[in-house]
Amino acid sequence: MEEKKDNRLLMNILHEAQEKHGYISEQMLKQISVEQDIPISRLYGVAKFYSMFHTEPQGRYVVEVCGSPSCVLNNGVQIEKFLEEEIGVKIGKTSEDGMFSLYKTSCIGCCDEAPAIRINGQPHTKMTAERVQVLLKKLRTAFKKKKK
Amino acid sequence: MQILHKTNLEALERARMLGSDGVLSLLEGKGLVGRGGASSPTAKKWRECRDTPADERFVVCNANEGEPGSFKDKLIIRHNAETLIEGILIAAYIVGAKRCFIYLRGEYDHLRPRLQEQIADVLPRANLEGVSIEIVRGAGAYICDEATALLKSIMGFRGTPMYRPPNPTTEGLWGRPTLVGNVETLACAAQAVLFDDWDANLRLFSLSGNIKNAGVYEFPLGVKMSSVIDVARPQRKLKAMSFGCFGGIMPVDENMSITPEAVCKGNCKQGNYSIIFIDETNNVVDISYSIAKFYTYESCGKCTPCREGTIRILNLLKKIRSGKGVKSDLQLLRELATHVQETSLCNLGQTCGNHVLTSLEHFPEDYEAYLAKKK
Repeated sequence: MEEKKDNRLLMNILHEAQEKHGYISEQMLKQISVEQDIPISRLYGVAKFYSMFHTEPQGRYVVEVCGSPSCVLNNGVQIEKFLEEEIGVKIGKTSEDGMFSLYKTSCIGCCDEAPAIRINGQPHTKMTAERVQVLLKKLRTAFKKKKK
Repeated sequence: MQILHKTNLEALERARMLGSDGVLSLLEGKGLVGRGGASSPTAKKWRECRDTPADERFVVCNANEGEPGSFKDKLIIRHNAETLIEGILIAAYIVGAKRCFIYLRGEYDHLRPRLQEQIADVLPRANLEGVSIEIVRGAGAYICDEATALLKSIMGFRGTPMYRPPNPTTEGLWGRPTLVGNVETLACAAQAVLFDDWDANLRLFSLSGNIKNAGVYEFPLGVKMSSVIDVARPQRKLKAMSFGCFGGIMPVDENMSITPEAVCKGNCKQGNYSIIFIDETNNVVDISYSIAKFYTYESCGKCTPCREGTIRILNLLKKIRSGKGVKSDLQLLRELATHVQETSLCNLGQTCGNHVLTSLEHFPEDYEAYLAKKK
């Protein structure tokens, strides 16, 4: 393979880029391409391969529902449906106000505290409908404050 | 728990005293094997990496634990990261590596700040000149648990597995010999070097599902299933258990001794013990469906049988669950699962039909129940 020995690792560079605006824009990819001397086609291929990298704008809060068997066995499917209803979007979509993006994820390693979800990377475990409501209310308040 | 015993940089000190050959024969004598799933002898791998001529070598800690139902490495990173770091440093010392990596799965990114602090704390005290440990941030690709895919990811490529040989041990990162070790293996290596009474027989079990006491436990190999169930405390009568996602869905046999042979009937080497308990209120097909979703989602797309086959398996299960299935679908599922397993390149494709084949064999009545619900 023709890998060049780079001291900065592309995975970490892409994560840092995404942290700025919640997704990796075409502009950012072009910039990284020049700085790292990597063809943009390869960069795009890498960004699209990993499920946690987004090349489109995301909601302020990215909510991911764990779909592992342990979560399914502990009401995970009900939590998923409840989240869809409460947020008002289907899995894979972003709410119109740009507040939430809802996704399903493979196991997040919280099987002992199932059912689990992740919000902007932070796991929330032992979810119930009540706990989902409390969490969403908090996020909505924080979102509105920020908008003002 | 043995795995939580701290080594406080004394293991590295002892490794220095014993020297490279001394450490390798000690690990060999104690019988340390890989805990990621392959159960290969650790000392053999380390020796091979050390003895391959090269201008540079690397050590990679595989912290991309992602098989559904497995969360043992998280426990180590959370509660005994110092010992893990020491294990990495011992490995670096033995094979002669300067640059080390911890490939941390994206789902565990919340553990990264603390881990980074611990590296910064331990590394200067280890007095290993020029040795560094960098955290590589994974981004939600389970396939990077496979060593060649993991290395490609570190080098900044799509994480798709490569043909072997060459093995990473002789030709890995940037073409150099690279030692890839699982979190548990590396932490155990430090403990095995330091503690005379270190027990090679103890394994970490991740227990979850329909039980009260879900969590990580330490049991000796060969433990009776009844003892594990006693600890797990199911709420209702158990119907089945799934050995992670790879091992398949089996009936609960309380008299079974948990050994690699018992779990996989000698067809695989089980180094990772995770058990998802399923109680009598569930239809096994639903669990099989959630496992099929995992495989479809995580197939890297490199080989056609896995990329297409996992989707077809999922669609067939969907059809059966929706009440539109017919009897011949079961035979089709069986054939499809077998075919995909026989023709895929890596472990993901080679095991992606296990849950279907085992559930069809042991729980045909659950499939029949869905077929009878015909719409």
